[in-house]
Amino acid sequence: MRAALRAAWRIGTGAALRGHAGRPLSQAAGDGGGAEGGGGSGSREAVERLVREHPVVVFMKGSPAQPLCGFSNAVVQILRLHGVEDYRAHDVLQDPDLRQGIKNYSNWPTIPQVYLNGEFVGGCDILLQMHQNGDLVEELKKLGIRSALLDAEKDQEKK
Amino acid sequence: RGLASGTDGESRLARLLREKFPRASTIKVVDISGGCGDMYEIHVESEEFREKRPVQQHRMVTQALSEEIKHMHGLRIFTSAPKG
Repeated sequence: MRAALRAAWRIGTGAALRGHAGRPLSQAAGDGGGAEGGGGSGSREAVERLVREHPVVVFMKGSPAQPLCGFSNAVVQILRLHGVEDYRAHDVLQDPDLRQGIKNYSNWPTIPQVYLNGEFVGGCDILLQMHQNGDLVEELKKLGIRSALLDAEKDQEKK
Repeated sequence: RGLASGTDGESRLARLLREKFPRASTIKVVDISGGCGDMYEIHVESEEFREKRPVQQHRMVTQALSEEIKHMHGLRIFTSAPKG
């Protein structure tokens, strides 16, 4: 059964590479939902791989070093406040297929998008809310990441 | 107060939200694009949000406004259930 599915997926990919309008990958591989460009960067499979790459994955406009949108910048700054500098950031402006694919994947219409442990958490409004109510510290703790704000508090208490 | 398009956009979105969230106690839409009608701040307080995680609440709003959002540059969403 699995071998047949693998063969079908290869056929699907081949057809896409040859530029056929042809059988969409979703039929060949048996997954639901629309296929994006036959296994391209916006496909469900490709996005799934990206969101699982690292405990903290952000899809944004620009880069952490140079955000190109105020909302994306807000996400970067909040993560920085918590001492989270090691994470995967993907610039959707560099990849239109990914830009659409990530919105399809999460069923969420805007960028930035924050994923913790492969799960969509929300955009900048949600991250800000989580930062303000302490939820972000907790969620980071679950990922084995100690928020820098906890240490900042400790310093305050010492004084 | 601002350009006509901004105010029209605010009214239209507020009307849409009232239809989609009939139990809402508060709906506020603010054009934050300087009247250009392409960036909004959306506030909805409704019983329909009770017991739902923030991302679920926000998703209800984005789904209610899915067509409108396609034409927006961006939006901010603030949701809550009534206190008590």
